[in-house]
Amino acid sequence: MFENLRVSVFLAARALQRGGRGRVLLNIIVIAFVFTNMIFLPSVISGAVESYNVQTIDFMTSDIVIGPRVDERYIEDADTLLGRINRIPGVIRASARFSMPVSVDFEENAVSIEVKAFDPRDEVEVTRIHEFIEEGSFLGSGDRNEILLGVLVTGHEDKSKDFYDSLGGAAVGDVVTVRYANGVAREYRIKGIVRTKSYIADYMAFVTADEMESVLGGTGPNTRASEILVKATDDADLSALKRMILSFGVGEEVKTWEDATSDIVAESVESFNIINNITVIGSLIIAIVVIFILITIKTFTNRKQIGILKAIGIKKSVIINSYVMQVFFICTFGVILGLVILEAMVLYFTAYPIEFPDGTVTPLVDAGMLVENTVMLYLSSAVAGFIPAWRITNEKILDAMRGA
Amino acid sequence: MITARNLKKIYAMGRVEVHALNGVSFDIGTGEFVGIMGSSGSGKSTLLHMLSLLDDPTEGEITIGGEDVLTFSDSKKTRFRLQKFGFIFQDYALVPELSALENVILPALARGVPLPDASAAGRDYLDRVDLAGRKDHLPAELSGGEQQRVAIARALVNNPDILFADEPCANLDSTNSRAVLDLFGQINKELNQTVIMVSHEDWHREYFDRVIRLRDGKIEKEEILKGNR
Repeated sequence: MFENLRVSVFLAARALQRGGRGRVLLNIIVIAFVFTNMIFLPSVISGAVESYNVQTIDFMTSDIVIGPRVDERYIEDADTLLGRINRIPGVIRASARFSMPVSVDFEENAVSIEVKAFDPRDEVEVTRIHEFIEEGSFLGSGDRNEILLGVLVTGHEDKSKDFYDSLGGAAVGDVVTVRYANGVAREYRIKGIVRTKSYIADYMAFVTADEMESVLGGTGPNTRASEILVKATDDADLSALKRMILSFGVGEEVKTWEDATSDIVAESVESFNIINNITVIGSLIIAIVVIFILITIKTFTNRKQIGILKAIGIKKSVIINSYVMQVFFICTFGVILGLVILEAMVLYFTAYPIEFPDGTVTPLVDAGMLVENTVMLYLSSAVAGFIPAWRITNEKILDAMRGA
Repeated sequence: MITARNLKKIYAMGRVEVHALNGVSFDIGTGEFVGIMGSSGSGKSTLLHMLSLLDDPTEGEITIGGEDVLTFSDSKKTRFRLQKFGFIFQDYALVPELSALENVILPALARGVPLPDASAAGRDYLDRVDLAGRKDHLPAELSGGEQQRVAIARALVNNPDILFADEPCANLDSTNSRAVLDLFGQINKELNQTVIMVSHEDWHREYFDRVIRLRDGKIEKEEILKGNR
């Protein structure tokens, strides 16, 4: 066994060393680009999913989101609930949000969006919207008659640049009219414009909880919330924290950010996976074809030599393995070169992220995917190298030696 | 050592059957230097291929060292060739990507001889064929005579029982041919190795102990030439 392996290595090493280095180098380069192709697109998709997840936590759900009980529209007595949640170990802060559909008018433009009301003191602890104010400033506690608009809501004067209906380039200081779903209409000065690059967060409006209370016009303070966002400590296990919140007698629907977005993300990831699989299969087919052609040409050219080796008593398996080892050598250096190219691309796109409509994306190379694709590349190449070598070594010795 | 009985080899060429060997029987003893001679197409190379297990006869029996070698599986034949035979072909048949020394040691490595021992044996045999100074040269950098001497060193490195040579001088001039044949004679005498050589040159007879002369796939005559050298 060991002797056989040793002779295969010996033959493979000399073939690579003396059997046309240019051809070997060319094949290494082809495999390197095949490998890069196999990894890069999935890494961009992983980066996009990661970017979406980060945006979800930073702007939409925080770490845990509590929704109304089943069959109820609102969380009742939200203030009391907030107090209870804020006392749970592992919770940094909870923020209640009240949402209502509105129409926002500015000059001759109108958009239908959702306005979210919150207490800015709580909100800055649970989301990062306040860090992404492009113009103006974030809402202050007790602010009235002022509104924060997403950048996709304010839009551009040139509407061809807008993704959605917009206010045609409304700016900080402009006054917009907001018509609430309950019939109340208010005029607000735009206090700030938010650019988070999340197409959901950037197509919203935000007012303070005090302002919403006035809009709702009840006899007492508004104690309802559409949702409560909970920020956990960095080291918190979110599933464990969710169980703890439930154990504190919270009867509302409690979800981690993953639970809250899993359906949307799962569908997106599934679609992305289909694209990934097509890319990987395409790349593997290229690798198989290249290696198959390489080894077919090589074994056909070396037919006589293979016949001689068999004649002097070298086993077929030793000869086949020598070709498979050449393939492994090409794959190994192809993968190494591919990793260098990939790393260079990741570094470049980390410095200059890819701009997508819903945010900037940095490629995220997943170690599991890297190993899986590398193993697939090796296996496919080994098969592609094995078949032509096996075919030629199965020829009759004299036919091979005559090269007929 | 070698017993061949009623060997027949029939090739089908289209609808025509060609009887390359047509009932050949003989015995070869240990240490004999046997020449297989005959005109072109007489079946001498076919006979060598049968005896050296490179091809199977259509009919007949071959025993080598008492073993019925035709019953062997392909892999057993391969192992048998490696352990018992040495081969020298008309066109040298060296591996172009291996140096002279590497070509020589290849069969030894395949037998499991450690690299240092195989290299020492390889250098020794290259020295015997007067090519010690050319051990690192690739076949393309050697003359025809030198390549054939490398092939002889390769055939000898495993100290085989039988050396098969298929017209080893066909591509060599008379000086190189004589050097190669002298070497065969020397090996045959010193190492008592059986040498079976195909030739169509009459002057090669002076090296043989015995000549099996073929004509149309049959033994035309056998000549005992002992005492030639």
